[in-house]
Amino acid sequence: MTCTHCGAAVAAGDAFCEACGGDLVSVPASTAISGTGSVADTSVPTGPSSAGSSPVGSSPVESSPGAHGRTHQIVPGTAAGRSSAPATISAGIWTAVDTSIPCTACGEIVADDGFCTVCGHRARTRREHWTETHGDRVGAVCDKGISHARNEDAMATAIGPAGVVVLVVCDGVTTAPESDRASLAASLAAADVLAAQPATEGSVAARISAWEPRLVAACRVANGEAVGVARALGDPREPPSCTFVAAVVDDDLVVTAWCGDSRAYWLADGAGPDAVGEQLTIDHSLGTEMIRSGMTREQAEAEATSHTITRWLGADSIDATPEFRAMQVDRAGWLLVCSDGLWNYASTPAELSALVEQARADGAATATAIAESLAAFANACGGRDNITVALARCEPPLP
Amino acid sequence: MADFKAEVFQNEYLSDGATDVHGVVSVTCSGAGVAGQTAGTEAAEIIIVDTSGSMDMPPAKIAAARRAAKVAIEEIVDGTWFAVLSGHTIAQMVYPPHPGLAKMTAVTRRDASEAVTRLRSGGATAIGAWIAAATELFAQAPAGQRHAILLTDGKIEGEPEGALEAALANAVGKFQCDCRGIGSDWVVDELRAIATALLGTVDIVAEPADLEADFEEMMRNAMSRGVPDVRLRVWAPQGSEVLFVRQVAPQVDDLTSRATRISPLVVEFPTGAWSDESRDYHVSVRVPPAPVGNERLAARVELVVNDQVLAKALVKAVWSADTNLTTRIDPAVAHYTGQAQLADVIQRGLAAKSAGDERTATVLLGEAAKLAHDTGNESTTRLLAKVVDVVDVDAGTVRLKQQVAKSDEMALDTRSTKTTRIRREP
Repeated sequence: MTCTHCGAAVAAGDAFCEACGGDLVSVPASTAISGTGSVADTSVPTGPSSAGSSPVGSSPVESSPGAHGRTHQIVPGTAAGRSSAPATISAGIWTAVDTSIPCTACGEIVADDGFCTVCGHRARTRREHWTETHGDRVGAVCDKGISHARNEDAMATAIGPAGVVVLVVCDGVTTAPESDRASLAASLAAADVLAAQPATEGSVAARISAWEPRLVAACRVANGEAVGVARALGDPREPPSCTFVAAVVDDDLVVTAWCGDSRAYWLADGAGPDAVGEQLTIDHSLGTEMIRSGMTREQAEAEATSHTITRWLGADSIDATPEFRAMQVDRAGWLLVCSDGLWNYASTPAELSALVEQARADGAATATAIAESLAAFANACGGRDNITVALARCEPPLP
Repeated sequence: MADFKAEVFQNEYLSDGATDVHGVVSVTCSGAGVAGQTAGTEAAEIIIVDTSGSMDMPPAKIAAARRAAKVAIEEIVDGTWFAVLSGHTIAQMVYPPHPGLAKMTAVTRRDASEAVTRLRSGGATAIGAWIAAATELFAQAPAGQRHAILLTDGKIEGEPEGALEAALANAVGKFQCDCRGIGSDWVVDELRAIATALLGTVDIVAEPADLEADFEEMMRNAMSRGVPDVRLRVWAPQGSEVLFVRQVAPQVDDLTSRATRISPLVVEFPTGAWSDESRDYHVSVRVPPAPVGNERLAARVELVVNDQVLAKALVKAVWSADTNLTTRIDPAVAHYTGQAQLADVIQRGLAAKSAGDERTATVLLGEAAKLAHDTGNESTTRLLAKVVDVVDVDAGTVRLKQQVAKSDEMALDTRSTKTTRIRREP
């Protein structure tokens, strides 16, 4: 096995490379791909109460086996070269330090130079931790975690016309520099696209048919932003890259599209055997391939390379086609969209439901408060990666 | 108003668990103006000339001292309060005739220049008394920078032991003093004690003929220091320890023991008056380690005049798992660590030599030769070459010269603290 950062030989199960110190566990090595060509051919099993799913959108892009992702193949239809947002995103409100909030390490006053007056801890920038709140029922937090120097996760949330809820999460690839700019630009653009969509009408099937291309388009726009960041940086050898997951709550319908290993979950209310929770997305990762080839989930999770993603957004992406999934909600619960900074520590719907219940029992009354609680849990477990948690409350009218 | 700029050179990356942070803070002052022209201040200058009996042996010394004092008086700017003292068994007023300070005008300048031509030698060398007298005179001066030039040709005698120490303890913070020793019968450590306590320089003037130029330069420098009483303030976080604060350019001067604590987290160091110049400081702080990924401030370094912060620099600590980042040493820190080591090794080597321990002296001065060579400190290399024969500079092997002029040894001693600046890419 070779280190995904420097190529030195490493032993299976190593958490850090001995030669360069690179993180081998939580950082997906974006350039490794399975050797069988187009990944989009893989059939996706459908689950109960979902209206079916399939790889959709633009036709899958041919990839050359073993090409390590260096071929700059752009998914057809993406708006290549858009660089409007990236330049402003790395400056201004995102990098400014908020000196009005107490020091996050010791609670004392932060000086104008951005460092605490007592313990010297650098005050957080917005880019390192921010929340988005829409009333009590929609809330999200994006946090740098502990180990990583930067927050390469990003998110964007919005409420569209007729109360449609939009949650987008993008997880930047740490080994590709400036991926934090890509993830932010991508998530903002996708949320904008989705929040501008009009309400859907008609049968469930009709509404699902309406949302599918919208989500695909949003992913395409997001990819265009990521590619645009690479162009703005002069097309580096390791272009900025990120995952993508967008989920929309339209009345009793939850639709989601994803590319990579950031996830959406449905967590019905209640704990115990009656609770119905489901992971709506299936990671585009080597871990998924391993399970499909016969390994158990535990075996796959034990493999160091299981987190290597097989689809992502960015100028060197081999396959940026999103997968789509729709679900009709028939009971109260939470839609949770998150990055692997959370699910690495609590991967099953049951574990996540328990965390939500615990947060509420501890007094978290709003979606944002629950999201903050889940992020705190991940940090308490070590915070080895950036953490994004977005929650939307679903309470369909009971028959 | 003078403009101060502060720049930090450091490697801020620390490995997991590391605690010691080093930074070089380079401070540049521009627009300092002339001494005594900051609003509300007036400058004061005292010239102290040794007129002990030995200054007549040979008479060239006292003759040079008269000429040098006159030249220094010429350099003092109109409006400055000044006095000239003749130092022997006591400190005697030369000008003004009564104990006090005169204001420099065309008239007082002429009268003072005339007075110094009448300097005569005779008596002992009670340097402690001279310092005490200067301290008393300066007390009469209005607020502003206070500076003295002290010239001696011999070691202290004619006063009880500890008199200099006591006088210095009383003089600290009240005036700055540049010291010169003429010939080679004076004691470097005595003048160095004065220069260290009173934020000044010490140097040897081996030949009487060179004294005039030296005094002229000293007084000109003093007159160009338009910003009085500049303080260096260092904030370090709770739970940390400031290991040292050392001026490293233009010469090495450990300020650590001169710290005054002004609040639980802040210490202040006096740095005297500034002209248009640049000084570099090496700051080292030991901080409580934070987890990898954290960024904290190890020190805030501020330049303060009249309680106003004129420049600020931040010394940071970032904990990282990337050994490519954490194992680097900043070139400025490495260079100045070497220069401080060089000064230290020379002084210890010379001390060993005077104590008769030739073996230790050879080892230490050999280290010095190698360090001076490796860091490109040519002036120190030249000074060392007068005291040792270099056998192998890369290995640091030297031989003590059999015949060393005392003045050459003293020159090495006094000038060992001069550093070369690190060459920075523009």
